[in-house]
Amino acid sequence: MLGRRSTFWLLCLPPLLWLLLFFVAPLVLMGAISLRPGLGAHVLDFSKLSLDQYQRVWATPTYLRLLGLSALMAFAVTAAATALAFPIAYFLTFRAGKRAGLFLILLLIPFWTSYLLRVMAWKLMLGSEGAVNSFLGWTGLIDHPLDFLLYNRGTVIVTLIYVWVPFSVLPIYAAMQRVDRALLEAAADLGAHPWSRFWRVTVPLSLPGVLAAFFMCFIPTVGEYVTPLLVGGSGGSMYGNIIQDFFTKAVNWPFGAALSVVMLLVTVALVAIAARLVDVRRLALQ
Amino acid sequence: MSIRSPRPRQLFALLPAVALLLAACSAQSGSPGASAGASSSAAASEAVNPSCAVSTTSPADMTGSLTVLDWAGYDAKDFWTDFATSYPKVNVGFEIGESDADIFSKRSTGDQADVFHPYTGWLQFYVDNNLVEPIDTSRLTNWDKVPDSFKKIGQVNGKQYFIPWDWGFSSILYRTDKVPSVDSWSVLFDPKYAKHISMWDDGPAAVTTSSYIHGWDETKITDAQLATIKQEWTDQQANINLTNWAGEPELTAAMASGDVWAAYAWQGAYATLLGQGVPVAYANPKEGRNSWVGVYGIRKGTANCDLAYRFLDQKLADKTSQNVVDLFYYGSANQNVMNGITDPTLKQAFSLDDPNILQHTNFTPNVTAAQRDAWTAMWAEVKAGN
Repeated sequence: MLGRRSTFWLLCLPPLLWLLLFFVAPLVLMGAISLRPGLGAHVLDFSKLSLDQYQRVWATPTYLRLLGLSALMAFAVTAAATALAFPIAYFLTFRAGKRAGLFLILLLIPFWTSYLLRVMAWKLMLGSEGAVNSFLGWTGLIDHPLDFLLYNRGTVIVTLIYVWVPFSVLPIYAAMQRVDRALLEAAADLGAHPWSRFWRVTVPLSLPGVLAAFFMCFIPTVGEYVTPLLVGGSGGSMYGNIIQDFFTKAVNWPFGAALSVVMLLVTVALVAIAARLVDVRRLALQ
Repeated sequence: MSIRSPRPRQLFALLPAVALLLAACSAQSGSPGASAGASSSAAASEAVNPSCAVSTTSPADMTGSLTVLDWAGYDAKDFWTDFATSYPKVNVGFEIGESDADIFSKRSTGDQADVFHPYTGWLQFYVDNNLVEPIDTSRLTNWDKVPDSFKKIGQVNGKQYFIPWDWGFSSILYRTDKVPSVDSWSVLFDPKYAKHISMWDDGPAAVTTSSYIHGWDETKITDAQLATIKQEWTDQQANINLTNWAGEPELTAAMASGDVWAAYAWQGAYATLLGQGVPVAYANPKEGRNSWVGVYGIRKGTANCDLAYRFLDQKLADKTSQNVVDLFYYGSANQNVMNGITDPTLKQAFSLDDPNILQHTNFTPNVTAAQRDAWTAMWAEVKAGN
């Protein structure tokens, strides 16, 4: 029989090691590379350190503007995805009954296909000879294909909302499942209208899940680069695309790393502000 | 969030393990060849790599393994079939580079592949940073099949460092049902085709295109000229360009679907679309087409130098060279293969029926690291500004 201490280590050591090696160490490495004046020599040469790269980020307002724009896009995506996910989670929890499991599986079916293929599918739908344009042309509503459907910021936002809705459902669903049904019954017994039961009981109690969904979607979306690359066209780049360019096209890892660190700090700051504005625990106890 | 965080002391216990691992990695990537700076290049390039000694074992019995840093698709056995047949017991592994810049940054940061595949415009950086072995061409049995003009392309500072292998054009590819004719690179800026134009996602290519249009020498672009180029592309990206393509399949799909009508393109895309029956033509702009050549080099300090030589030699053999023409529609440095082309689609793609084509073609020149960096940064800002 293992003691409590050894059980703790046995359970925690593998994930801890994993996180250290593949999460903490790369982050530290990224920070260290961002302090190098150039890429020369090999990857772990840190003999010369400087803040040159950060000065250059600061001196290029185009990049900072794009970071702001990417954060705004991420906010729009997250707000829409969360708003769409909430009724789905509500349906799964309170209305689907015995079939909730089946519906949950249906919701997760898109994940059986690769992310890239799902994004490519939007190209097939929105292209000038795509499904939407072909249908509109067939109905006679348009005689030229609509060209604003694909390759712009709007397309990136729509595609990302599509990608994130199923993810956003999960934490909200988990939070709603924990809502004590007795509270709803008590509210009904005391004469609360269904609408006020929803607003005064269900919504506040599921807010922690909503916030978890919000952050889970917002944080990775700020640095998104694959979706804008595929459907964004030349006017739909996001900050992540610029980072990628400096790593893979410009042979300038230090500057790419500095751009990444700036993005990380800005995202953490935004999330910290959001978490402070909406005090999760107080909301849950309301 | 409900997980109790372990005490910091317990975390610190793990740090030595991480440090050890990092040290191990750094020791591995810090081999003399990879880490030597440009300053020591003159002295180091004189040193002879002992693994280059010619083995007396017969090819069929040679063992060992060879790693090739190549582009996606080039790892297919079709493109090294002669080596696979002659050296059946040698393991060939591939690492994939996404672009020239990606391959160069991998090589600069200690990548251990024995053989790598850069393109014109990037060769001098490998020599400047002492990342490539000079090549003794007398060891290559297929070297005679390469025309002198191609041999020269693999030379830097008068010395053979690379063997030329594949080549092709860059020009304007257009849908003949949407665009009546193209006689200049400036079609990429033509408002008539607004939002039906596609540029290759590459800063140096943008500078090259602009210098053709303006008649500037692309190796001597001034700051003022670069500012003009940046402004022109910024406007182009906002108003004229639909999307920038990163990989050829992306471009051919967008042209086949009718989203893109005219684009900066390699002739591989032209041949692909011709094969699909899409009405396209490959322009002969009045400023001239661009031409590029892909080469193979051997990593400085490799432990498999002799095998690398043999791999390069077999790369130039007929069957392998024929495959790059048949499967990728690119040209081969093997002149026998080029002389044997009869397929009309391929003839058209290489403009083999136009004897003057090479006289009005602009070969990709060598640029300095500072130019490359400035041009790529310019392009990143152009894209970020939209």
